[in-house]
Amino acid sequence: MKPGSSSCEPMARDAVAAAIRHVLHDTGRPAGPVELPMLLGAELGLDSLDLAQTVVLLERSLGVDPFRAAAPAAGRPALRTVSDLVEIYAHALHSHPLEPPPSEP
Amino acid sequence: MMTAIEHLLDHLADAPAAERLACAISEIARQFPDRPALIAAAGTDARRVIDYHSLAAAVAKLEAELDQVRPEGIVTRATRAESLAVITAACGRQRVPLAFVADAARDLAGPLVGWLPIDDSLTLPADATAHGRHEFDSVSPPVIVATSGTSGPPKLVDHAWESVLAAARLSEKWHGLGWLLVYDPARWAGIQVWMQALLTGGWVVVPGSRDPDTVARAIVAEAVAVLPATPTLLRRLLTSADRSVLVRGKVDRITLGGEAADAQLLADVRSFYPEAKITQVYATTELGEVFRVTDGQAGFPAAWLTRALPGGVKLSTRRDGELIVQLSRDANPVATGDLVEKRGNRYEFVGRRSDVIVVGGAKVWPKRIEEVLRPLPGIADVRVYGMPSAITGELVAAEIVLVDPLPEGLSPESVRAAALAACRESLDATSVPRVVDIVKTIATTAAGKARRF
Repeated sequence: MKPGSSSCEPMARDAVAAAIRHVLHDTGRPAGPVELPMLLGAELGLDSLDLAQTVVLLERSLGVDPFRAAAPAAGRPALRTVSDLVEIYAHALHSHPLEPPPSEP
Repeated sequence: MMTAIEHLLDHLADAPAAERLACAISEIARQFPDRPALIAAAGTDARRVIDYHSLAAAVAKLEAELDQVRPEGIVTRATRAESLAVITAACGRQRVPLAFVADAARDLAGPLVGWLPIDDSLTLPADATAHGRHEFDSVSPPVIVATSGTSGPPKLVDHAWESVLAAARLSEKWHGLGWLLVYDPARWAGIQVWMQALLTGGWVVVPGSRDPDTVARAIVAEAVAVLPATPTLLRRLLTSADRSVLVRGKVDRITLGGEAADAQLLADVRSFYPEAKITQVYATTELGEVFRVTDGQAGFPAAWLTRALPGGVKLSTRRDGELIVQLSRDANPVATGDLVEKRGNRYEFVGRRSDVIVVGGAKVWPKRIEEVLRPLPGIADVRVYGMPSAITGELVAAEIVLVDPLPEGLSPESVRAAALAACRESLDATSVPRVVDIVKTIATTAAGKARRF
């Protein structure tokens, strides 16, 4: 974990878990506990559409969208587990703590 | 002995196209000076009536000014229907080229440089004479109308008076009717409505706002007989206005245009106005009116693709379902941007090419999804659009307007869950909305169509 992002980690963890459960519920799948080491694809069954929806939900709850940022994807850590996703959001929250969500179209 | 109306119609048919509106206004003002030509702010306490006598006087006054200055052309910046009618009538009879540019922010470029702007004050600029003294011997000066921009950025389309008047019905049965004007009066669809009403001694009813209850009150109080609207505007009226007011309306004709109407909306219209004749007009700003469907069903008969329509129009489809129109044997085929799909013995519109939402490479058309959502209990209106996503390019998003008040046993959460379940049942996985928001109203464009982005 990058230095400085730890303070935002609990907030990011709760939001990510809630968003994933929301996506599973919306798509009619059972939403069990979401644990940090779980694999997003193999264990939770999330595909790219599910992930895209998760990102929208997190943008609304946390006010950041790290995937829209100009930083090239190569500079981001691999995205395989719930923990990877939490880290990306914790880092984004730390960099842009109070960025409001963009206005709706 | 001819009736006054027959006499008027005869007179109009003889007048050159450019003079026809001015002729109609003066003639009706002479015969029926107190008859209302336009009712502004209808359905509100600020209701204002402009009769034919005052309309004709305003036309004569502006004609005198135009005659003095003889500008190269006039660009209307007017926003009120009565001002636009006066400007159009005066420019037509004085043979002054005219451009409707509804968007006031638009710069005048190209052919319009040097044309004089005129707004609701109906007076030419003080320094007008400096730009003037252009003589026109042309029988039919140009009329330029800016498009609504649904099918791309707004552009200026050059018309002749004949094409602006082409759709107007002048026969006696169209005489003296109340016409609802919910369109922008400076754009093509709106121009057609007030032009038709004034050419036939009718009155234009302009509601104080697009608020459904205001529109419903205007329909009843001003005896609206003809209701031209987009499906989006009509749907909002039927689902949101006070029903007890709406059913007291005496609407004879409903003309739908601008977008395709689905079967659900047509059924709703019949439940309110079982006697009304429903006409769906298929037109584009570039092609003008292509065809009308009057059987009250969605889409058009599949047989129309196999033979020429009255007037020589030929329809065909591209492999991806895009409707192609050839107006006559010699005309070039035009790709309309509208996608159709064969369902039984009809072709139905599924959306516009440009409406497509691309989700991870798969194409999704919002209209199909809206058709699944709209009939569900508790849903008054919906809009489906593409939300940008860094992961899948776009994501299908839906806005839902709830019925107010919600029926017993329904909650916003239950409606949302039922909407998702219905989509999962009848659509493929990429078409199921991933973002579903409950909203108060659906955004519409200036032309009265649902916004897609």
